[in-house]
Amino acid sequence: MRKKARLIVFPELSLTGYTLMDLVQEVGLNPAESPIFRKVKALSRNTDIVLGFVEEKEAGVFYNSSAYLSAGKIVHIHRKVFLPTYGMLEEAKFFAPGKNFKTFPTRFGRAGLMICRDFLSYGAGYLLFAGGADMIIVTSAAPGRGYSERGGFATDRMWERMAEAISFFSTSFVIYSNRVGCEDGKTFAGGSFVYNPQGKLLIKASPVEEELVFVDLDLNEIRASRKTWPFKRDDRPEIILRALERIVRKYED
Amino acid sequence: MKINPSFVEKVLCAFIRGEFGKFNYQKAILGLSGGLDSSVCAFLAAKALAPKNVIGMILPYKDTFGEDVKDAQAVARRLDIRSEVIDIAPMVDTYFSGRPTQDRVRIGNKMARERMSILYDFSAKEHALILGTSNKTELLIGYGTIHGDMACAINPLGDLYKTQIRELAAHLGIPAKILKKKPSAGLWPGQTDEGEIGLTYGQIDEILFRLVDERKSMKEVIAAGFAKEAVERIMTLVRNSEFKRKMPPIAKISARTVGHDFLYPYDRNR
Repeated sequence: MRKKARLIVFPELSLTGYTLMDLVQEVGLNPAESPIFRKVKALSRNTDIVLGFVEEKEAGVFYNSSAYLSAGKIVHIHRKVFLPTYGMLEEAKFFAPGKNFKTFPTRFGRAGLMICRDFLSYGAGYLLFAGGADMIIVTSAAPGRGYSERGGFATDRMWERMAEAISFFSTSFVIYSNRVGCEDGKTFAGGSFVYNPQGKLLIKASPVEEELVFVDLDLNEIRASRKTWPFKRDDRPEIILRALERIVRKYED
Repeated sequence: MKINPSFVEKVLCAFIRGEFGKFNYQKAILGLSGGLDSSVCAFLAAKALAPKNVIGMILPYKDTFGEDVKDAQAVARRLDIRSEVIDIAPMVDTYFSGRPTQDRVRIGNKMARERMSILYDFSAKEHALILGTSNKTELLIGYGTIHGDMACAINPLGDLYKTQIRELAAHLGIPAKILKKKPSAGLWPGQTDEGEIGLTYGQIDEILFRLVDERKSMKEVIAAGFAKEAVERIMTLVRNSEFKRKMPPIAKISARTVGHDFLYPYDRNR
């Protein structure tokens, strides 16, 4: 804020830490009433803020949520849809799944939020694209898994690969903020990054050290890339919708 | 299976620093055997926490492992960490003098637990956290004494196979003498892990990597060219040592039970 950043993005569950288990029930909050949110909302007067928290939306029902705050108000809340539950990940044991991917207006254009595993669903990326996103913001707490001789975790490339594809084919910015540090021996792989609408990596943070990185986004690049690549103009969501309906109907048979 | 040693070093040092910060400890204590794993662990701790915050406990049984004591002291000098030598023979001998045995495993386990008991006492005395040095190979095949050398507060090495620790050691500049030493649990003079298990660490690690990391079936590993007897022997060791990798089961009676559905992170409140 001292550097007059206009948007700051924190990682997934940034208010509480990632590994919570039964603590989920103790730290869940309702943003409309929470004193913490009152403070953060006040901080968002000049700098838009994206953060992660446990949301108790209905009494006793908890979501892994992220919020976009601006001008002292909550603009949008996203509830994590894809809750990884396998191996060392057990989110669906503790959280209810969200049900939607929506875009919303910000002073930088339309934005969409995703949380960690959401981003690895290309369907979810498509929905934000079809919803008109100029900026896809991903908050994450992705642990590093597997090694490579090159250094870094084997899983690092997975996030960048998706970001490169999504930013290029949706002609929008992708902002990915990932946790660093250790919780119960799991090392979060950090490496937060930003891709521009041409699929170009603009900045990458350290995989191990906590860092605050700044990057200037040239919003004109959105228009420039869409003039070259009319993916957005040529999209046919109604075809996709009908085809999906047919596929889903078949499942139900 | 090849690691990038400088990346692994960075992650492990950050892990050690992070855990000590969370639990509000400055000092680390560990058993220094003069072997590879404890030397690597001491190097990492000295790097992560500064040498003045690391205590190496050298705990021989008489002078049965004479060279090892010297090697451990050389590591401590090289790192400029504090070290302390305590002979565990009086405690172990007192116990067995009344109930003599030739069972080398029982004697070896007793020695491992004697060392653990001293480490925990010193950890209280020095307000220091105990660093574990069990590697992934040992943890998987159960080659360790439960409540003995496996006991610790945190373990930076537990996800590295023995052969990977050797790679890391070379990168860290561990003395060549220790790098070349035959791995030994120090259970009796002349004992070597590989002699006792009947396979080299290279062979064990290659097989474990396929079975565990790559989730291959025994059939697939054998088809890839590994000796059937070796694969079966390793799988048996892994299957039979699950109890060493878990908390003991608690008989569930209530609605909410420790170890079943009273679920909190290790880092709770940290």
